[in-house]
Amino acid sequence: MTAAAKHSQAMHFQARAGEKVRNPVLQRALQKAKPLFVGKRAKGIAALADDALDFETLRSACESIRNRTLADLDVWLDIFEERATATGAEVLWARDGEEVGRLVVDIARRHGVTKATKSKSMLSEEAHLNEALAEAGIRPVETDLGEYIVQLAGETPSHIIAPAIHKTLEEVEALFAAEHGRPVETRTSADIPDLTREAREVLRQHFLTAEMGISGANFLIAESGTAALVTNEGNGRMVTTLPKVHVVVTGIEKIVPTLEDFATLMRLLPRSATGQSISNYVSLLTGTKREGDCDGPEKTVFILVDNGRANLLGSAYQDMLRCIRCGACMNHCPVYFSLGGHAYGWVYPGPMGSVLTPLYTGIENALDLPHASTGCNQCGSVCPVRIPLPRLMHRLREEQVERGLRPWSERFMLKAWAWLAGRPALYRWMMRRAVRYLNWLADDSGRIRIFGLAPGWSAGRDLPVAAGRTFNELYKARKRA
Amino acid sequence: MTARDEILGRVRQGVGKDGFAQRKAAAQALLAARERGPQPVLAGDLAKRFRAKAESLSSTVDTVPDRRAAPAAVARYIAAQNLRPEIVMTPDVADLAWGGNGLQGVARAAVDADRIGVTACFCAVAETGTLMLLSAPDSPATVSLLPETHIALVDTSRIVATMEDAFALLRAERGEIPRAINFVSGPSRTGDIEQTIVLGAHGPCRVHLILIGTPS
Repeated sequence: MTAAAKHSQAMHFQARAGEKVRNPVLQRALQKAKPLFVGKRAKGIAALADDALDFETLRSACESIRNRTLADLDVWLDIFEERATATGAEVLWARDGEEVGRLVVDIARRHGVTKATKSKSMLSEEAHLNEALAEAGIRPVETDLGEYIVQLAGETPSHIIAPAIHKTLEEVEALFAAEHGRPVETRTSADIPDLTREAREVLRQHFLTAEMGISGANFLIAESGTAALVTNEGNGRMVTTLPKVHVVVTGIEKIVPTLEDFATLMRLLPRSATGQSISNYVSLLTGTKREGDCDGPEKTVFILVDNGRANLLGSAYQDMLRCIRCGACMNHCPVYFSLGGHAYGWVYPGPMGSVLTPLYTGIENALDLPHASTGCNQCGSVCPVRIPLPRLMHRLREEQVERGLRPWSERFMLKAWAWLAGRPALYRWMMRRAVRYLNWLADDSGRIRIFGLAPGWSAGRDLPVAAGRTFNELYKARKRA
Repeated sequence: MTARDEILGRVRQGVGKDGFAQRKAAAQALLAARERGPQPVLAGDLAKRFRAKAESLSSTVDTVPDRRAAPAAVARYIAAQNLRPEIVMTPDVADLAWGGNGLQGVARAAVDADRIGVTACFCAVAETGTLMLLSAPDSPATVSLLPETHIALVDTSRIVATMEDAFALLRAERGEIPRAINFVSGPSRTGDIEQTIVLGAHGPCRVHLILIGTPS
C-alpha cells in the first residue's frame, strides 16, 4: 500500500455518501453554494465575448500549452531547475508525501523555525504536511480563511477552492469562539464581515511572527524559474513576503514555458473557478530578496513533488496532468453537490478526485469513485483544459474489470449477459418475457415503484413503464403496417 | 539514487523520447519566441477601460492632471474617509510634496501599525483593471499589503492593454525579473464563510487609485 493510500478513505465512499445525503445541514450548505458557483462562472465566461474572446479558442490554447509541457516534461523540469537555481532559489525533489514532510521539517530545523504560516496547497494535503510539522514541534497555521476554519475543526477541505463550503455560520462561530477565547454569540449573515475581521486580526499576528511561509504554486514558469500564486485574500502575498524562509511545495506537472503562456492560462483559471476576470492578487515570485530590498524572504526553496504524477505520463491517463485545479468540474457535478467533498475520502473531490484518487492511491483502493458519475459530461464541457473526465472514469472502470477488481456478482452478470447476447434467438425470447414482466410491475399511474430485481436502485427512483413489447416486435409491426 | 534522478528517470520514461539535447534546444527556442495566445480586443481608450474595470472590482478612482497634484488628492481622500493623515509610502513617491498637504509621510517598508500605504505602480493593465507592482529597494512589497488602505498613483501613460503587454514593458525597461511581481486588482476579499463576499480579508480593505494625466 502506498503512503497516499494509507490516508485515503475512498473505499468507504458508499457508506459516506449515504451519511452525507442524510445530513440536512450539509445539504443546505451545498444547495446554497451550487447556483452561486455555476452562475458566476457562466457570467465570467460570457463576458469573454465583450473583448472578442471566445471560450473554445482560449480553451484550445490552454490545452495546447499544457500538452506541450507534458510532452517534454523532462526538458521543462531541467530548464525550470536551471533558471530557478540561477535566481538564488534552491530546488529539491520529493518522491512522495512523506519525503515532502521530511524535507520541509529539515529546512525548518536548519532555520530555527517554530511556526509556519501556510497559503492553501492541496499538495500539502496529499503529503499530510501539517501532521509532519506538528510531530516535529513546528506549528503549522493555515491562513486561507476556509483552510483556517477547516484546520480549527480538525477536518480536511471539502472543496479545492472553497475548503469550508460544508461549514455553516453557526459552526464557524463556535470554532472561532473556542480558538479565540471568547463566548459564543448568536450570529446572522450580517455578522460575517465581523467574523472575517476577527480571523484577520488573529492571523495577522501569525503572519508577523512565523519564521517560515509555505505555499503551493498555481504554475511554475520555466522561462524565469518563477512560482505563480493566485489568491483573493492576500494571504499568499503575506506568506511569501514576511517570513525569512519561503518553501514552495508543488507538483512536477505544474510547469508552463513562458510568462505569455501564464497570461493565457490566467484568462481561464479565475473565470473557471469563481467567474472573476482576474483574482485579486496574482504574484510571480522569483528567487530571494535582492540586494537593497527591504522585504522578501532570504531563503526560497522549491520542492518539486512526484507522488504518482510521473506514472501518468505516457499512460491512458496523461490528459489528467493538464489539470490546473480550478474546481469547475466539481462546481458543475450533480454527484458532488449531492454529497459534498468529504464523501470522496481523499484530497480531491468531484470528477477530478474520481480520476486522481484511484491513480494516486491505487485503483484497488478507490473502486467506487470512477462510478460516482452520471456520465452527464458537465465536468468535461466546462474544463478549461479540456480534460475528458468521463472518458478517464470510463477507462478506470474498464481497468477494474480487466484486473478482476469488480465483485463476483457483477462479473457473473456480465458473463451471463455476454453469453446471452451471443445467442440472438434466445436473447429476443428473454427480452419479450422481460418487457412483459416490467409492464406487469407497473401501477395505475404507469410507473414502476418497486423493482424486485434491484431494490437498492429503485428505492430512490421510479421507472416509467415501458411499451410492453420489445423494440424488435414494434419494428416488425411497423414494417407490416 | 537521489529523488531527483529517480523522478526525472520516471518522467523521461513516461515522455518516451530520445534526443534530450535537441529537445532542450527546441524548448529554449520556444522560450525565446514568446508567442502570445488569443488576445482580447479592447473597445475604447485604455484609461477608460482601466477605470471602469477597477471600479467594478471595488476600487475607487480619482483623477489629477499631473503627478504634483497627487498629494492633494491623497489628502482629500484621507479626509473624506475620516482617516488619520499618516501615511507610509514607497520611496519612489517620496519626492512629492506630502508635507504641504497636511500629511505626515514616511518612506520605508510597511509595518503592522501602518494604516495607509501609498505606492506608485510599474504599469497598469486595462483588460482587468489591474496594478502591476514590482518589488525593489524603492518599492517594497509590504506598503501595498499590510495597511488597511492602499492608495496607488497610476500614470495614465503607463496603462497597457494586457498582461502580455505589461511583461513586454518589464523586459524592455528592467531586463531582469524582480523578486516579486504583484498584480493587484482591488481590495482583498474572501467568500469562505457561507459564500458571502467580504472585502478586506488579509490585504487592504480599501484600494483607492489616483489616475495621473487625465483631465478631471
